[in-house]
Formats: sequence, C-alpha cells, structure tokens
Amino acid sequence: MSIEKIRDPRDIKHWFGNMEADYIYTLGVAGERFFREIKENAKIFGAKCKKCNIIYVPPRMYCERCFEELEEWIEVGSRGTVYTFTIAYVDENGNHLEKPEIWAFIKINGTEGGFIHKLGEVKAEDVYIGMEVEAVFKEKEQRTGSITDILYFKPIE
Amino acid sequence: MSEKIKEYPGHPLKAEDFKEGKVLTTKWRPNAKYAWSAGIAVSRFLKELKNGRIIARKCNKCGRIMVPPRMFCEWCFKPTDEWVYVKDTGRIITYSISYISAERGRLEKPMVVAVIEIDGASKNMGILHKVEGVDIEEAKDGKLFGMRVKAVWKPPEEREGAITDILYFKPLEEEG
Repeated sequence: MSIEKIRDPRDIKHWFGNMEADYIYTLGVAGERFFREIKENAKIFGAKCKKCNIIYVPPRMYCERCFEELEEWIEVGSRGTVYTFTIAYVDENGNHLEKPEIWAFIKINGTEGGFIHKLGEVKAEDVYIGMEVEAVFKEKEQRTGSITDILYFKPIE
Repeated sequence: MSEKIKEYPGHPLKAEDFKEGKVLTTKWRPNAKYAWSAGIAVSRFLKELKNGRIIARKCNKCGRIMVPPRMFCEWCFKPTDEWVYVKDTGRIITYSISYISAERGRLEKPMVVAVIEIDGASKNMGILHKVEGVDIEEAKDGKLFGMRVKAVWKPPEEREGAITDILYFKPLEEEG
C-alpha cells in the first residue's frame, strides 16, 4: 500500500491558529534619546565621533569604526538628500495601494547615515537621486516618539 | 556575578517603566498564522473517537499494533498495513501528578495524567490522558503503576472528534 499524498490541510482534520507572539520593543539608550528629541522638539540628532569625524544618524552609543564611546550629540537639522528611491504600489500587507507611495533612503546632510522614509508633496516622475528634501513633522500633540512622527520628507523649493 | 563582574552592564527596565511610559516602546503582534492538520492516521483516530471507538494501525512485518495510529512503521521503514480496533481499557504504564492545568493555571485539586497502554495494542502503545477516581495519596506513593483503567466517554451527541471525547480514564472494576 502506498500512502496517498495530502496537499490541502483542510482535506483532513485540521486546525487554524494565530501565534500570539506579541512583543514590546525598546529603543535602547541612543534610540530612546533620538526619538525623545523628535517627540518633544521635532529635532533630529546625530552622535559624533571626534576621532573619526563622523556623525552617525540615527545616533549610536559607539563608533562602528574605532569603537570609541560617542558622547557628543549634535542637532543635524531636518534636511537631507535622496540617496535612492522606489515607488510602492502595495502596502506592507501586500494590499494594492490606490495612490502609489514614494519611499526613499534619505541621507541627512553632513552625516553618515539617514533613514528610509516616505516622500510627500512631490510627483513620482519628479523625484531624482540627489534631490534636496526636508522632514515634515506631525503636530506636537500627535507625536508619539516614533519614526512616523515624521510624516514624510518634502522637496525643498 | 563573579569575582570580576560585580554588576551587569546595560540598563535594566522594570514593568513600571513600561506602564508609566518612561521608555518609548513599539508593540507588535506578528501575523503568524498557521494551519495544522492531524495527518491521515490521526484524522481517522479522532473520527473514530467520535464513534466511541479507539482505532490502531498494524504493521504486518513486525506485527506491532500501534496506537495512536501511524501510517509509517518506524521500525520497519515501510507503510503500515491495516486498521485494527482496540479496546477502551488498558493499564497505566506511567503517570504524573499535575498541580497545573492545561491552561497553566494553578489547580485547587491536583490531577493525575497517565500514559495508558491500550488493551489490544502492542506493549507500551498507549495514549496520554487524565485519570480520575483515584486517591491522590495513593498516587503519591506510586501505587497507580500497572493499574487497570477504562475510558469514560462523553455522551455521543457531545463528541466532536477530539481526544477530549474521552473525558478521562477511571479504575476498572475487574469482573468476578
């Protein structure tokens, strides 16, 4: 006798479930301070390594190059440059987006690093690598201490 | 802690720090859905429980009658051959006293969970289930090993094709 293959788990006795693998993520010392500054003051901070003369954004506790502890925090402004970008037609759950979104890696001017964020107030066809952009923050009472406290980056006229 | 390490590095957080919002956090529930199927053998086993019967699977090479049933003999490396009904009586081959429920709550009254070697199946072939109607003090003294037991079934209309169609096993009153 051969064993018949079951291809659909619903053909035989089955259960559906959803693993409740909930978690709470904390930001760490540098992340905490970085997002506090965004929440309270709508300011973006970096951490400077005096030895390597590099400003890390988002800030780190230690320099990745020389392992020196970073103690100097510097406000880096809210302007940056589009380093690379893509146009998304689906959201994070794979659902079709009525209005496509432009996602870019934005390098904060004068620093090493930056973040992935949305671009706003611009048409997809007008975006280019090297475009100068600046952060648009939510109103203070709506800010929660998250990267979404920045609504998007918009081109600088 | 050791001679060298007097204090762990890092920044310990307390539950209150989260409750009072002292630290920024991100909460998330991953969308970790799954479908689990019982397989051919266990699906039949569960279906038969609904009928108030225990079914096993036999390998004609080694002659073992296996319960819960399986479609493949792990001794002979070949598919098993036939379905065999076994009895709903058996013998406790091992057991434990549990003070925690299946939902990990504390139990007021401890329960006995046992592996019951089913009559008609091969040696050491059995299912794990609750045992009721036994004395906990006797259980603590290890007196349940080898005890003869019988399944207590749910009423037929309440059965749903699950191992819980057997409510528990109870001591078997021997005839004569």
